[in-house]
Parts: sequence; C-alpha cells; structure tokens
Amino acid sequence: MKGATRWLIPLLPVPVLALLAFGLTRSAQVLPSALIGEMAPEFTLQTMEGDSLALSELHGQVIVLNFWASWCIPCREEHPVLARATREYSEGDVRVLGVLYQDDPASAERFMMRYGGDWTTVLDPGSRTAIDFGVYGVPESFFLDTEGKIAHKQIGPLTWSLLRSTVDSLLAASAPGVGS
Amino acid sequence: MLMAAVILAANPVTGAPRPQDREPLSPAEVDQLTAEVAAQLRCPVCRNQAVLESSSGLARQMQTVIREKIAAGETPEQVKAYFVSRYGGWILLKPEPRGINLLVYLLPAAAVLFGGAVLFRQMRRWTGSVGSEEPAPEPPDEALSEEEEAWLRRQIGSAR
Repeated sequence: MKGATRWLIPLLPVPVLALLAFGLTRSAQVLPSALIGEMAPEFTLQTMEGDSLALSELHGQVIVLNFWASWCIPCREEHPVLARATREYSEGDVRVLGVLYQDDPASAERFMMRYGGDWTTVLDPGSRTAIDFGVYGVPESFFLDTEGKIAHKQIGPLTWSLLRSTVDSLLAASAPGVGS
Repeated sequence: MLMAAVILAANPVTGAPRPQDREPLSPAEVDQLTAEVAAQLRCPVCRNQAVLESSSGLARQMQTVIREKIAAGETPEQVKAYFVSRYGGWILLKPEPRGINLLVYLLPAAAVLFGGAVLFRQMRRWTGSVGSEEPAPEPPDEALSEEEEAWLRRQIGSAR
C-alpha cells in the first residue's frame, strides 16, 4: 500500500492535465448548434428594399442564410464567397439570403455598393431572428435543405470549398430519384 | 410586493409551471422574473457574463425577448427552455445536473472527500502513537551498569 501511494500521489495531476490539454484542442468557435436537423425558425422580415419576405417562400431551394454586418471585418473576407455562390448556382437551386445583424440599413447598403453583389438581405430589428437562430456573432451561416431544415452551421467566415461542398451535398440529397 | 414574494417562492428553479390562465403579472413582477431569468443566461457575445449584467446590444435585446415572453405568461422555465433550444445548454450559466455535466457537481465533492481522507490519515501519523495501531517502543527498563552508575555519580558530584 505504501509503495502504491508513493507512486500514486505524483500521478494525481495527470488526469487533470490531460483534461486541460484536451480543452486546448477544442475551439470555442465550434459550439455545435442546437438547431442542426431542425426546421429553421420561420420569419417574415423586411428586405433592405422594403419588401416583405418570408423564409418559407424560399423552400424548395437550398438556402445559405448568412448573418452579417457592415462593421464586421471577417464579413468582408467572406463576401466574395457569397458573391461567387450567386454567380455559380442558378437562383432556382440555391439562394443566398443575408440577415443584417446589429447594423443600420444605410451602412449595409454602402457595404453592398462598395463590395458588390445583388442578393437579398433582410433587416432584423431587435435581433429577434438572430436570437431565434441562436446566433452569437457575425458572420454565421446556416445551410438549409430544400425542405427548410438546418443541415449545417458555419461560425466565422465561409470559404468557397466549404460552401460548395455543403451546397452540392444538399443539392444531391434533394435531386429527384436520389435517396427516395 | 407580497404577491411578488409569493410568486417567487412558489416558482423555484425546479417548480412546476404555473397555469397559463392565472392573473396577469404586475409590471414589478415582470421585472423581477425577467431579471431572474436574465441572471441565469449567458450573454452570447461576452466572456462568462450573465445577460442581466451585460450592456451589449445582443444581451439587451435578449432581455427584451425575455420580458415579452414573461409578460405573455410564459414561466421562467419555459423562457429558459426556449433559449436552450436555440443556443444549446451552453447558454445556461449553471449547467443542468445531467449526463456529463454531473461531473461538474460530483468531482469537487469527490476530491474534497478523497483529500480529507488522505489528510486525516497523514495527520494521525504526524500526531504520533496516540490511538494508532503501531505502539511506540517501550522505554528500556534495564538497570544501569556499575560503570554507568559510577560515571553518573561523578558527574553529579562535580556539578555541586
């Protein structure tokens, strides 16, 4: 017993250190969304142009729902990725929809003028929709399948390869004759 | 004020949901329940701060949502469940004692018990033989040899 304790006591911190080391390998950025596999929360919001848009109107397409703001630096970085998505996919298949987060419409308009792109962004007064989607920062993007279910959530800027592989797999899953 | 106290007392964290068709809450009661819920939710854009304490835009908007839900007759439990359904269990500052979260509650208690046991054993060793299973060696009771006695007398004699 005495011999065992002599070895055991110096070894006691090992599990604690192992736990802390494991913690270092995990990023606080990749908190899993509680909404994966769930229907996206429905909303009807005003677009920047002043029209009313309901999310359910877009069902039948793969939706890239992108929460962004003009003050958000990584949003500038990912902007060309979204622009490329609107060019490379036809609108009947894939729809990019922006949701403005904690920003005023005038700044958002200037941002779109400056960096280009003509996809729709809706306004989210009071961040109700952002809270409904469990958003905690921008940019955050939700990939919705053709039925409106949340298939994937990206926290932080999108890359083209991630957007393409996610969208392509959702398009493939919804193609007629596949998986049915 | 008394009403608010009664409602708070009848509505602890584990309390059953109150019926939806009760009397509408007074503004003071709504304030109180809103603060109660906001104190338990993590501000998503802060570092380890409650929604109640944060002045960030999102936290204040979350407070508005909480207040509206409370005023509409939802219980604090229902409001918290809404945020958990959107943000996951992470949004609760105090994790629910369930599944792997139980470790958070059990490990410190286990560590204290284990440390206490080790310390207790060690202290008994330090305080010597009292009540221990290993008695201290008996003092030798042999008589002094003649030589020793003569030496002792000499020493006493010279000290006088």
